[in-house]
Amino acid sequence: MVGYLARRLLSALGILLLISLFTYVIFFLLSPDPAVLICGKTCTPDRIDQIRGTLGLDQPFWVQFWDFLRGFFVGRTYGDGASAVSCPAPCLGFSFQTNRSVTEMIETRLPVSATVALGAAVLWLLAGVGAGLLSAVKQGTWWDRGAMMFALGGISLPNYFVALILQYVLVVQMQILPFPSAVPFGEDPVRWFQSYLMPWLVLAFGYAAVYARLVRANVLDTLGENFLRTARAKGLSGRLILRRHALRPSLTPVVTMFGMDFAGLLGGALITETVFGLNGVGKLAADSIAKNDQPVIMGVTLLAAFFVVIGNVIVDITYTFLDPRVRIATR
Amino acid sequence: MTAPAPLLEVKNLTITFPTPGGTVTVVDDLSFAIRDNATLGVVGESGSGKSMTSLAVMGLLPPGGRATGSVLLDGEELLGRSERELRRIRGERVGMVFQDPLSSLNPYYTVGLQIEEAYRAHRGGSRRAARAVVVEALERVRITDPARRADHYPHQFSGGMRQRIMIAMALCLEPRVLIADEPTTALDVTVQAQILDLLRDLQAQTGMAMLFITHDLAVVSQVAQEVLVMRNGSMVEHGSAEQIFSRPREAYTRVLLDAVPRIDDPFGDLRRVSA
Ligand SMILES: Nc1ncnc2c1ncn2[C@@H]1O[C@H](COP(=O)(O)OP(=O)(O)OP(=O)(O)O)[C@@H](O)[C@H]1O
Ligand SMILES: [Mg+2]
Repeated sequence: MVGYLARRLLSALGILLLISLFTYVIFFLLSPDPAVLICGKTCTPDRIDQIRGTLGLDQPFWVQFWDFLRGFFVGRTYGDGASAVSCPAPCLGFSFQTNRSVTEMIETRLPVSATVALGAAVLWLLAGVGAGLLSAVKQGTWWDRGAMMFALGGISLPNYFVALILQYVLVVQMQILPFPSAVPFGEDPVRWFQSYLMPWLVLAFGYAAVYARLVRANVLDTLGENFLRTARAKGLSGRLILRRHALRPSLTPVVTMFGMDFAGLLGGALITETVFGLNGVGKLAADSIAKNDQPVIMGVTLLAAFFVVIGNVIVDITYTFLDPRVRIATR
Repeated sequence: MTAPAPLLEVKNLTITFPTPGGTVTVVDDLSFAIRDNATLGVVGESGSGKSMTSLAVMGLLPPGGRATGSVLLDGEELLGRSERELRRIRGERVGMVFQDPLSSLNPYYTVGLQIEEAYRAHRGGSRRAARAVVVEALERVRITDPARRADHYPHQFSGGMRQRIMIAMALCLEPRVLIADEPTTALDVTVQAQILDLLRDLQAQTGMAMLFITHDLAVVSQVAQEVLVMRNGSMVEHGSAEQIFSRPREAYTRVLLDAVPRIDDPFGDLRRVSA
C-alpha cells in the first residue's frame, strides 16, 4: 500500500510538472509581451527593457521556466538591490494588473470556492442519488418519469441560464434573498447562508441531474445481475436485497465521478461565481482571462490541475477500500 | 398404505411471457414429480425452458412471466402464493444453485457473509451464532480451512470452489429440495466430476430431493435416476435413466445421445447392444 501510494503520488507530481510546462508555454510564449502589458500607455522602450529584466523575460525559455518552478518550491526574488521584491514559496509571481502576489490572491479566494463546492456537493449528492434510487426502484411510474424530467432539465439548461432565472425570481421579483456577496460565516451567518444558497442550488441542479441518471442506470443494471437472483433465491427480504446487494455495486462508481467533479469545482466554478459576483477562484480566473493577467491565469490553471490530479489519486485509493477486487491487485 | 407423496410435484406447468408480438409460451404443460432422496435430471438444448421451469418453482420468474398449472411442495400449492410466503420457502425449503458461480456471488461481500445472511434471513439469531453455521456449511462442501476462507471474497476462489460455496449457501438451512441449474456447465471436466461427487454425497447424507438441470446427458447419467427430456418448452420423453439411455423412444432423445462423447458414457455399451 505504501509503495502504491508513493508511486501514485510520484506520477501525480510528474503530471503536474508536465501541465505546468504546457501552461507556461501557452501563456508566456504564445501571448502578447507581458512587459508591454505591464508598462501600459505611458511607456518608453527603456522602461520595457527594465521590466523585462526584473521579470526575467530577457532570459531563454528554459531559464524562465526553471525560475518559475524554483520560485514555486523555494521562493524567489524579482529584481535586485533596493527595488528587489521577494516572493516566498509557493511563489506564483505577481499580478500584472494589481501587483499583488498571485499566491495571496488565490489564498483569499479559495475559501469562497470551497464553500460553494462543499455546499453544492452536499445538495447534489442528496438530490441526485435520492432521485436516481427513487427512479430505479419505482421504474416506469410517475415518480420515475418526474425525476427523469427534472434530470433532463438539469442536464440541458445551461448553468448561467438557471442562475439568471433564479436570481431574477428570488432576488429581483420576490425579494426573498439579498444579492449574493461572499460574507464570511463568522460575520453574519444568516447573510452568509443567503449568499451561498443560490450558487449551491444552481450548481447542484446540474450535477444532481447527471448523478440521478447515473445512479438510476447503475441500479437497474445491478438489479439484472445474477447475484441478485441468488439473493432472492435465498429468501432475503426485498429491503435487504436492495440495501445490501443492489446499492453498493450501484453507488461505488459514483464515488469516482464525485471525486472528479468535486475536485474540479474546488478549482473554481467560473460561470456560477461570475454570475453571482462571488469572489472565488472561478471569478478570479474569469477576470484574469478578460484582462490577460498571465501570472494569475497560470496560477488558477495550476490550482485547478492540482485539485484534479490529487482528486484522481484520492479516488483511486478510496476505490481500493470500496471494491475488494481492486484491493488485492494493488496491495 | 399408499406410496409416499412426492416431495415436489409439478403438474401441467405452463409459463408464458407477454411480448410485443403476442404471448409466447416458453414452457408448455410440463409435469413431473420428485421423491425424497431421488434426483430428476432435466435435459434439453439451450432455450428449451429448463431454467424457466426451475425459476417458476421458486416463484422467481423474470418480470412479466406467468406460470399456470400446479407446483406442489410437500402437497402445498406454491403457485399464486404471495411474495412474503414464497420468501419463507426460498432457501429454507428449496435451495437453488446456479450455472455461473462467479456472477452468482456478490463480488463486494465475503462468502461467509453471503452464507450467513441466507441463514439469518430465516432463522435470525446473532452473527456469532450464524458464524458456526457458516463454517460448518463450508466444511460440509469440503473447503479446507473453512474458518479462514469464510472471510475471503468470491474472486479469491477457483471456479470449482465458488460452486462449492454456492452449494454450501443453498444447503446451509438443510432444505428438502435442491434445484441445481447447470451447476457444472461453467467448470472443466475434472472439477465437474468433483462437484457431482459432492452433490451425490450430500444427497446421501441428507436424503434431499434434487432437480438437476443440464444440457449434458453425460452429466445427467452420473446423478439422476430419472430423466426428463425437454424441447421447445415441452416434454419429449420421461423415464428412468436406464430406459432413456439404453432404449430411447424418441428420435430427438437419440440425437441428444449421439452428441454425448463416448468417453464418459456409462450407458454407451447398453445403447450399442440395443441398436
Ligand atoms: N423475459 C422473457 N421474456 C420472454 N421470453 C423469455 C424471457 N426470458 C426467457 N425467455 C425465453 O424462454 C425460453 C426458455 O428459456 P430458458 O432460460 O428456460 O432456457 P434454458 O433451457 O434454461 O436454456 P439454457 O440452456 O440456455 O440455459 C427461451 O426461448 C427464452 O428466449
Ligand atoms: Mg438455463
